Amino acid sequence: MRLIGVDVGGTFTDLVLADTGTGRSVIHKVSSTNADPSIGVTQGVVELCARAGIAPAAVDQVLHGTTIATNAVLEHRGAVTGMITTRGYRDVLHIGRHQRPEHYSIQQQIPWQSRPLVKRRHRHVVTERLVPPRGEVLVPLDEAEVRAAARALKADGVEAIAICFLFSYLNPAHELRARAIVQEEYPEAFVTTSAEVAPQFREFERFTTAAMNAFVGPRVRDYVSRLAGRLKEAGVSGDLQVMGSTGGVASVAMVAEQPVLTMLSGPAAGVLGGAWAGALSGRNDLITFDIGGTSADIAIISGGRFGEASARDTWIAGFPLLVPMIDIHTIGAGGGSIARRDAGGAFRVGPQSAGAQPGPAGYGRGGQRPTVTDANIVLGRLDPENFLGGAMALDVAAARRVVGAFADELGLTPEAAALGILTIVNANMANAIRSRTVQKGIDPRGYALVAFGGAGPLQAVEVARMLEGREVLVPPHPGITSAMGLLTTDLSADAVRTCFQLSTALDLPRIADDFAAMEAQIIARFAADALPVETARFTRAADLRYAGQGYELRVAFPADEMADASGLLARFHAQHKAEYGHAFPERPVEIVNLRLTGAIPRPHLGAPPPRAGGSLEEATVRVARVVFGTPAAPEPHETPFLRRELLPVGQPIPGPAIVLQTDSTTVVPPGCTLTAEAGGNLLIAL
Amino acid sequence: MTETSTIDPVTVSVVQGALETIAVEVGYKLMRMAYSSIIRESEDFGAALTDAAGQGLAESAQSIPLQSGPIPGYVKAVLATLARRGDTLRPGDVIMHNDPYGGASHGPDVAFLVPVFHVDQAGLEHLVGFSGTTAHHLDIGAQTPGSCGIVEAIDAYAEGLQFKAIKVYDQGRRNEAVRQMLRDNVRAAEMVVGDMEAQVAASRIGAERMAALVARYGFAEFRAACAAMLDQAERLMRRAIAALPEGSFRAETFIDGYLDDPARSNLALVATVTKQGDTLLVDLTGTAPQVDDRPINMPFHGTVDVAVWLTVRSVLLDTAIHGHVPVNEGLTRPIRIVAPKGCLANPRFPAPTIARFCPGNQLADTVMKALAQAVPGQVSAGIGNLKVIAFSGLQEEGHWVHMEIFEGAYGGRPGQDGMDAVDTLYANTRNNPIEDIESHLPLRVLRYELREDEAGAGQWRGGLGSVREIGFLTDAGTSVEGEGHAHRPWGFLGGGEGVTARLTLRRADGSEEALPSKVPHRAVRAGDRFICHGPAGGGYGDPFRRDPALVLEDVLDGLLSAETARRDYGVAIAGKAVDEAATAALRGAGTP
Repeated sequence: MRLIGVDVGGTFTDLVLADTGTGRSVIHKVSSTNADPSIGVTQGVVELCARAGIAPAAVDQVLHGTTIATNAVLEHRGAVTGMITTRGYRDVLHIGRHQRPEHYSIQQQIPWQSRPLVKRRHRHVVTERLVPPRGEVLVPLDEAEVRAAARALKADGVEAIAICFLFSYLNPAHELRARAIVQEEYPEAFVTTSAEVAPQFREFERFTTAAMNAFVGPRVRDYVSRLAGRLKEAGVSGDLQVMGSTGGVASVAMVAEQPVLTMLSGPAAGVLGGAWAGALSGRNDLITFDIGGTSADIAIISGGRFGEASARDTWIAGFPLLVPMIDIHTIGAGGGSIARRDAGGAFRVGPQSAGAQPGPAGYGRGGQRPTVTDANIVLGRLDPENFLGGAMALDVAAARRVVGAFADELGLTPEAAALGILTIVNANMANAIRSRTVQKGIDPRGYALVAFGGAGPLQAVEVARMLEGREVLVPPHPGITSAMGLLTTDLSADAVRTCFQLSTALDLPRIADDFAAMEAQIIARFAADALPVETARFTRAADLRYAGQGYELRVAFPADEMADASGLLARFHAQHKAEYGHAFPERPVEIVNLRLTGAIPRPHLGAPPPRAGGSLEEATVRVARVVFGTPAAPEPHETPFLRRELLPVGQPIPGPAIVLQTDSTTVVPPGCTLTAEAGGNLLIAL
Repeated sequence: MTETSTIDPVTVSVVQGALETIAVEVGYKLMRMAYSSIIRESEDFGAALTDAAGQGLAESAQSIPLQSGPIPGYVKAVLATLARRGDTLRPGDVIMHNDPYGGASHGPDVAFLVPVFHVDQAGLEHLVGFSGTTAHHLDIGAQTPGSCGIVEAIDAYAEGLQFKAIKVYDQGRRNEAVRQMLRDNVRAAEMVVGDMEAQVAASRIGAERMAALVARYGFAEFRAACAAMLDQAERLMRRAIAALPEGSFRAETFIDGYLDDPARSNLALVATVTKQGDTLLVDLTGTAPQVDDRPINMPFHGTVDVAVWLTVRSVLLDTAIHGHVPVNEGLTRPIRIVAPKGCLANPRFPAPTIARFCPGNQLADTVMKALAQAVPGQVSAGIGNLKVIAFSGLQEEGHWVHMEIFEGAYGGRPGQDGMDAVDTLYANTRNNPIEDIESHLPLRVLRYELREDEAGAGQWRGGLGSVREIGFLTDAGTSVEGEGHAHRPWGFLGGGEGVTARLTLRRADGSEEALPSKVPHRAVRAGDRFICHGPAGGGYGDPFRRDPALVLEDVLDGLLSAETARRDYGVAIAGKAVDEAATAALRGAGTP
């Protein structure tokens, strides 16, 4: 099968074409066309086919990572959105949890108040009320009011409507009826219901998720249909599938209905790419570490499986989001992070970033403040002639000037200041990784750090040292790992139900019924996309907590345990102990949500064909002075600069060394050993 | 500043980051392990690390200022108490403490403190610091159920159990007698004890991590890094203070107190803020005398100091403008607080203090009102204060207790309107989801919306209040402590005053009763409901200078009536547009 992965970033659109039969892959990069990314994607696909010498019609599938939905939220450019909600609760979306994002700030903005997804004038209330425990109807739905609200919203030019009723996760009947009425009155509108997008309790978070789905809906729907059309025109007849935040892909139809599921499309693809790279080296306990210019994305893969974020911890642009996502932790630390002294004299790096414009001083575009990249230049770790394969010349003098001025402020030498910048940014990253590992009962020392993104391989070894890790892997193409990851995914769909059952009075048949209903729902969705339903695999899980607690832990709940919950409860106690350091086995447990994931396997990107390899002599571009050591004791070393594609395969090379390739630079400090593996990765043993 | 010269700035930054990461982990774990909604949903808890002397080093970002802020004070008081008793700290000890005359914010905020030890290369053991958590407990054995709305406690003894530096673990061994006494003397004991166990577990994790950090750097280097970190924060605050204009700035506001009792109502809070070089003196002289037999007195350490620090920090080092500011004791060194003994802000033992929450937040607002004269561009107009309601009842032979905090609102701000319906100043809790409350308690939340057409008018409008209605599905009990029924939030620079809060009890038979801001425990019947109107913040700047387009937005959103737009803002609305000519005429006629 011939697959194309396309990942759209802010600057570049990365593409990879893989033939799953031969294992051959071809990569390509084009500039992103931000006004309409489908233009760049289509152009890239066509060019890539030409490069690979195949006709566009020979491509079986195009898998796509997109930031359309994310950008619509970040830039607050979405549809004019309306809402129909339960009478008495018009402002749930505005009041939120009545908490300010910042403790110590008078001038802060609250995102849902200063940038509402739905303006109050477009929030209509209707008479209806459901109540727990099962969504019994306390007040029937006033259908005439729904009709009137739909007409009013249509007259006001609203393009998308979220229907959000209290307790709809227990009983979606009122929401579904209201949707039908809205669709009768206003068939062109994009309509979404809260229980369909996020059937879980916590009304502010669920309503916000539904409102966000509506807010981005029309834009995403238009984009995917435009892209599908353009690809067809270009002769690409294969299926288009879009990456979701959980690491599975979905059909264009499904994404058009629930665009909110694609919020972490690109980063999720990166995690999958990291997992793929780990597998090339036979590793499945991994920390994926994707560093770009302004931020670093961190995810943990244990036993080949990545974690899913807790529903309480998922935020986009300051808004809470109640949809499943890979647990990706993003911090404001990257190549462009700016070093400064604060007014108290403390040495800080980031989260402010020089971004792409002006960028680090060393980019020669007028940047005047010292960044992480500038520190790397001062220490000699980036080769001015071979940066990005020679595509960009570095202004070494400018980097030295800004780092030197900063060093004077601190009373340090420029090299000590540069090492200080790296130490601090690396410590920030190591703290972020600790918060995802040590703090959750995972020992990072047994995990390999998979470093990618333009800047990941520059920092990874020193970060891994802080974590007392043993090895770092650098994938074959660190700069396009997300695009590679797109080719390793399965088709997937998720379902969730809130159930609120106590371990002291479990109704297991009801749980089995709920799972069966969710399975039917996913099968129907797959069938609607004409997918081979018979190949679907299902994974069951439940969210549990001790009765009274407010946070749940996700615990596997295999289908053969539907008659006996003792295994489920034992796993919960163990996981509670692992994550929080303590368990309360004598206390009753509450099952809060049931979760089901359906996946249909697809062909995957395989391992690249083994490489013949060159020799150290051939690979060596030059030998130059590079500074390692600590700020207190900088150590210059004569260091070889090596061309990655000419490295000898399987031969351990002692550090220090700098490995060059077109999309990244890998730093191998003294004391560790570099091996170019036949499987395609660089392995650095600490 | 003696030790700082020996340490490099990189290590200081790295140690500080590590301490913050530990504090965040402790807070995260406590919040997730806790049982009662007041901790895990409302987030009414604190987590912090201190050095061996009790100087604050870092606090958890999730916990609220009123809980994390006092922890260093708890530690200092515990150290003093143990010294007086001739007792010492040993590895494995866990100290329980809630003495409002010994650093605690008030009795229900019980701290669990774990001392951290380090054994150096010579084999000597050093106390290097404390890992501590505080949390608001549902019940602490006071005269009526719940730990809020105990508004008729006549002294410290009527407020519930007092724990003064009690070792609940002595070198790792649990004190079973204390545990049993606790179980026998608090309501909803399962929940309270469960929350306390979560506190101990979370505090111990912090202690373990802190010990590992000290081991990594060695005690001398760790101490030097901490000293440098505190000095940096101190410099940050001194510079911010130095930028203020010279002078003394005095402000006065009033609390309701007990509105149905003339002798105990309408009490003054006074703050005079004096800038002297790079230090601030906050003098609370002029504040009303303490109320000997009602618990609205504010502990000087634990409430008053935290309220002052919170406001000074939020105004001078606003994180929306300055970015991340490390929270440690260096920040408070340049601030001196003075309050005459025997006033509301510095009561004498055993004056009761359990209901100091809302007065303390009013004090924070008073300090902002004083600072407003110095830095008018960095404040908001007057803030609408909060209210806490306890709901309780009996199920079989056990209690259910629930506490809900009712939000206030911020005043208008330079360039933007006030924040609507939020927790204010030193409190930053969260409400409980309606879908959680109704799934677990015999309550029904009948309405939760913004309060329309009532806000402080201004060029930048005061934040809107909320309306929340909560009904009882069974016979139950309730008590209330709140503020802001009698005194409107202050307007600033020509802005109008905000709007007071009110509380109504509507009985099942339809009859209504207007309640004051403090209601001692009383019985309610199934079918009764509270209708709670939150306050709206004061306006900032002349409302006649508000952009008519913004006035129109509010009218279109149903937040302002066309009549109010005309009266308060001089803006005429015709249909869905501003009538420019009529507006010019109205505004030409002058400001109201």
